[in-house]
Amino acid sequence: MLLSFLSSLKLTITLLIIIAALSILGTVIPQEYGAGESFTRMSPGLVKTFRSLQLLDLYHSVWFIILMCLLSLNLIACSLKRFPTSWKLFAVTPSLDRARPFKDLPPDNIVMIEGEQNETASRVEHLLMKRYKRFRSKDTDTATIFYGEKGPYSHFGVYIVHASILIIIAGTIIGSLWGFGGFVNLAEGESTDTVYVGRKKSLKKLDYAVRCDKFCITYYDNGMPKEYRSDLSFLENNAVIFQGPLLVNHPVTVKGIKFYQASYGTIPGGRAHMTITREKYKATTLTVNLKDSFYLKEDGAKVTIQRVEENFMSMGPAVLLSIHSSETNMQLWVFKDIEKMKHIIPNLLQKVPKFNPGLFKPYYFKLNSIAQTYYTGLQVSYDPGVSTVAIGAFFIVIGFFFTFFSSHKRLWVRVDELEGKTRIMVSAQSNKDPVGLEREREYLLRHFKKGP
Amino acid sequence: MIINTTILSWVTFIYFGSATFYIFRMVTGKEFWGALASWSALAGLIAQTAGLILRWFESYKMGIGHAPLSNLYESLIFFAWTIVFLYLIVEWRIKSRNIGAFVIPFAFLSMAFASFSPNVNTRIQPLIPALQSNWLISHVITCFFGYAALAIACGLGFMYLLKGLEKEENSAPFLRFFPRREILDELTYHSVVIGFIFLTLGIITGSVWAYSAWGSYWSWDPKETWSLITWLIYAAMLHSRFLRGWKGKRMAIMSIIGFVSVLFTYFGVNYLPGLHSYF
Ligand code: HEM
Repeated sequence: MLLSFLSSLKLTITLLIIIAALSILGTVIPQEYGAGESFTRMSPGLVKTFRSLQLLDLYHSVWFIILMCLLSLNLIACSLKRFPTSWKLFAVTPSLDRARPFKDLPPDNIVMIEGEQNETASRVEHLLMKRYKRFRSKDTDTATIFYGEKGPYSHFGVYIVHASILIIIAGTIIGSLWGFGGFVNLAEGESTDTVYVGRKKSLKKLDYAVRCDKFCITYYDNGMPKEYRSDLSFLENNAVIFQGPLLVNHPVTVKGIKFYQASYGTIPGGRAHMTITREKYKATTLTVNLKDSFYLKEDGAKVTIQRVEENFMSMGPAVLLSIHSSETNMQLWVFKDIEKMKHIIPNLLQKVPKFNPGLFKPYYFKLNSIAQTYYTGLQVSYDPGVSTVAIGAFFIVIGFFFTFFSSHKRLWVRVDELEGKTRIMVSAQSNKDPVGLEREREYLLRHFKKGP
Repeated sequence: MIINTTILSWVTFIYFGSATFYIFRMVTGKEFWGALASWSALAGLIAQTAGLILRWFESYKMGIGHAPLSNLYESLIFFAWTIVFLYLIVEWRIKSRNIGAFVIPFAFLSMAFASFSPNVNTRIQPLIPALQSNWLISHVITCFFGYAALAIACGLGFMYLLKGLEKEENSAPFLRFFPRREILDELTYHSVVIGFIFLTLGIITGSVWAYSAWGSYWSWDPKETWSLITWLIYAAMLHSRFLRGWKGKRMAIMSIIGFVSVLFTYFGVNYLPGLHSYF
């Protein structure tokens, strides 16, 4: 009773349609771990109801799991029930002297030819042996009967397809039990061995650390992004175990864990390239980050980078320095485009002494450029089920070819004598592909007719 | 306007002509119109192929060479191409022009949408990093062959239902020219099988691409989910053939519902909340 319910095709169709309907629901109701914003637009009461029904994470809800279990059971039960029949069709050759295949044959399946019966029989045998690998013959008192078959494997196509689906489901289960998917944002120069995993963003420690040495974007002429690239180093006990670039569509695998270029961003406050000159001395060029400090050797003044601005007061890149020495405490803005600004506002430095790059004598500060500090967004994932899923996907396609493009053709030919002529009767059967069967039948009849 | 888009917008008119001729043929039963329809569809297909190849060359000349399968405009054009291509094969195989009136209009509509909708950008654009993948090309090709076969199945489904309206007396005369319902049913089934196989290949290649680009072969993104929904509908349809009494009318209706789901997978998904839409 339960078994016949579980193995019924009605259940299959019902399940397929319910799973489809539930999936539709999942694309209509915003999912909790998917698109963040639209989810928050629902009213709190609705959210509560939906959450208690597990509709906010539908594809991982008990409903979905129950349906997938039922579908798997359905598949297994159905296959077990039907397999013996298919096996019989595959393995057992019918006894040849049955009368049934030749009963009520339509007239065009019968040819009458002049020619001796035995000779005709051997001619028929010759032709059939060439065309059918599985071939048998039997002589009775009055007739010779031949049996040939082609493509008996086609009965297994459906089992391959269905087994592949079970394999794919198994692969997804393996992945969800033992795999993880996470992400981490890494600023240039930073390293970490901890990533956020799962939909709940819990922390996970890796066996090694990953460091982002550099992130860069290149653009096409029209401004569209052409390449996102992170140069990564992977470190174990402070030794580099792997180093290489990470690009979109080209993940990097380290110890089975895959890293993907998923996103990027900039960190507020950048990095400045500056030149400091002092009369009669050689200029020094240095790169500083926000909050960095350095000393001016000669008089021990301490310089701190207070701010790094891309575009300060619409006057372009600028950094704010604060300088502490034994004599003075001062703040001063260093603009990249100070010469241009002086040109536009001739008495700028008198009006705003803070903008004078030579205010702290005898030094002169020059800002060459500001570089953005990027962080790279890495997707980190480990999925031991992938190969299983891939095998399933491969075999489902193979299975389709067996199911849809091959057929089991069975052919009975009987050669006997009737009214002084030799009679050839052809009876053909196929589990599908009636068109191909018809073509085969016509081919054989045409050749039989030709005579010796 | 660049030469390839000019050619392609002319192809739109050719397909419009072809669709009209198929409909004339259906109503009048005159093979003259049928021949005109077939030949213009073929001419359109050749011109369209040339247009696509030209577009490919132009993208290389711009230094951003890629197969013309990368944005909504190019996918719509390719959709029309696959429909006409598959349809002409079917017409040639079954030696009958009956289905044309129900299939070529899909190709025309797709071309018209691509060429005349203000929301569709016809320019050749470079590929953003996520789209720089050979898997993506095989994904698009397999998907659209699938969609085209399912479009043909949908046209056949309509024909089946119309044929069902035929009565002994006073029915539209053109229904008499339709193939018998058993034949329509058989053709629908074969188209769905081809469509289903390509759809499966499309989902597989798409998953491989997602796996190499996003780090997960399946992430329940609306587009992915809808392709699964479509796949399930057709799987249910294939199984329903083995149920008693499920041939015929219900199969025809399911082939139409299935194609609505295909269209939703293609266009409708952009209106749902989601992470990324590819086109
Ligand atoms: C997503 C799930 C499934 C897929 C993709 C699938 C796929 C297929 C395909 C492609 C065929 C061949 C159809 C044809 O020849 O027209 C088939 C046949 C069949 N399937 Fe499934 N199937 C699925 C689930 C199931 C389940 C759960 C059952 C359990 C009862 C089942 C039972 C059958 C049966 C009995 C046949 C007919 C076999 C024959 O005699 O040719 N299928 N399936």
